[in-house]
Amino acid sequence: MEMRAFDFVSAENADQAVSLLSEHGPNVIVLAGGTDILVDLKHAKHDPDVVVDITRAEDLKGIEVNDEGLRIGALVTHTQIMDDPYIQENFPALVHAAHTIGAVQTRNLGTLGGNLVTCVPSMDSGPALMALEAEVTVAGPDGTRRMGLEEFFVGPRKTVLEHNEVLLDVIIPRKNLGKPTDFLKFGLRKGQALALVNAASALWIGEGNTFKDVKISLGAVAPTVIRAAIAEDFLEGREITPENMAEAGRLAVEDAKPIDDFRASASYRRDLIAVLTKRTLDNAYRLAQGR
Amino acid sequence: MTDVTLTINGEERSASVPPETSLLRLLRDEFYLTGSKLGCDVGDCGACTVIVDGLPVNACLMLAGQVDGRDVVTIEGLATLEDLHPIQKAFEEFASLQCGFCGPGVIIAAKGLLDRNPDPTKEEIKDALSGNLCRCTGYTKMIEAVQDAARILRGEKEAA
Ligand SMILES: Cc1cc2nc3c(=O)[nH]c(=O)nc-3n(C[C@H](O)[C@H](O)[C@H](O)COP(=O)(O)OP(=O)(O)OC[C@H]3O[C@@H](n4cnc5c(N)ncnc54)[C@H](O)[C@@H]3O)c2cc1C
Ligand code: FES
Ligand code: FES
Repeated sequence: MEMRAFDFVSAENADQAVSLLSEHGPNVIVLAGGTDILVDLKHAKHDPDVVVDITRAEDLKGIEVNDEGLRIGALVTHTQIMDDPYIQENFPALVHAAHTIGAVQTRNLGTLGGNLVTCVPSMDSGPALMALEAEVTVAGPDGTRRMGLEEFFVGPRKTVLEHNEVLLDVIIPRKNLGKPTDFLKFGLRKGQALALVNAASALWIGEGNTFKDVKISLGAVAPTVIRAAIAEDFLEGREITPENMAEAGRLAVEDAKPIDDFRASASYRRDLIAVLTKRTLDNAYRLAQGR
Repeated sequence: MTDVTLTINGEERSASVPPETSLLRLLRDEFYLTGSKLGCDVGDCGACTVIVDGLPVNACLMLAGQVDGRDVVTIEGLATLEDLHPIQKAFEEFASLQCGFCGPGVIIAAKGLLDRNPDPTKEEIKDALSGNLCRCTGYTKMIEAVQDAARILRGEKEAA
């Protein structure tokens, strides 16, 4: 498959990427790991005049804990998330989510930022980060802005990003560092399969063995990754029991709008939502007990 | 045009190509390194797998401009004039390939694994090869060959 002709420029840092995008826009695209965008270019879904490569921008890389929390640069690859000792120790759910993406080759190229910006409802990076109330930093010609993932995701394959804006990083707020979290993906195979449904739950154990600050997020069941607010409200402050977890699973179905497609029917997805919600709550609870 | 200079199998090479050239096209059409295969061209089959800066990646999913200044190892970089690489030998010994089309990608993916993890479990081998599709042989003999090559590379067994 041949790609249509375009110009190629490389940005050395985020500021330069923003200037290049503004200068060459609006028919420009950002190139990171290329695992989504090169496929689209070959299928001629895009016909950009200019491709701005950001893979050399050092300020978009790196994983570190700072005053705000855990910062993961947009260019961090899925492999780097899996290999990071701090994430392994504190957020096994993020390691697991990264591991379910594509295969080794895809994870060595594909970046966290690219996964979030492509914004397909089945993205595997979304649910655990959303359950951990992660925020993103976006840089544009007028400076930077910060927002939650719920605001960043607009619809299928659509985020708030303008053509001349770049995603800088993802921040898990300090209050959630080490928060027990679990992620599960249900696909038709183990390798190289998109999620029929994926889900994540994060929680603390409150006084008297109750759910505290419980957050549930679901993917592939609505136009974007979503929070299961009805299920969360039901659980908050209630005793942690298998019955309450199962009831939360049933309620999470009300939060979702699954569709029928060639991978699964909506009714099968509704069953998966209930099961995955219950299981991620149970796994997060076990993790919390171990802390 | 995009000018690129990179190291391929230890040798510095340069080319000037249209910006929409993939790394795979660069290797095959400019440098005549046709060992890396063009299968699906969209990241699904792994036939184009090469090692860039130590990590196996899909050459069909990178643009030539992205590898300027970087280090690339292809299947042509494994054997010497005298000898096959231990992984290649093991694939021969275990008859792990039939038509062979998937072979370069599988062997490079296996090298990527063994470079980082000299003593992988069977599960780890399966995981490392899950991005490589084979339509003839199946995977059992490949996994056995990778286990054998790992033993040889660790010095626990003499090469055949
Ligand atoms: C074989 C295969 C299997 C896959 N399996 C899975 C899977 O199981 N689960 C899953 O979730 N995904 C999967 N993917 C999708 C893909 O690998 C991921 O979405 C990946 O994380 C995308 O990142 P990238 O760096 O390759 O993005 P690119 O392709 O470089 O970019 C993707 C989009 O994001 C934009 N972009 C990238 N970075 C930035 C930035 N910093 N600022 C602004 N815009 C940006 C680009 O312009 C483009 O629109 C798979 C892909 C392939 C090819
Ligand atoms: S040709 Fe690159 S993965 Fe199939
Ligand atoms: S041997 Fe024919 S595809 Fe693998």
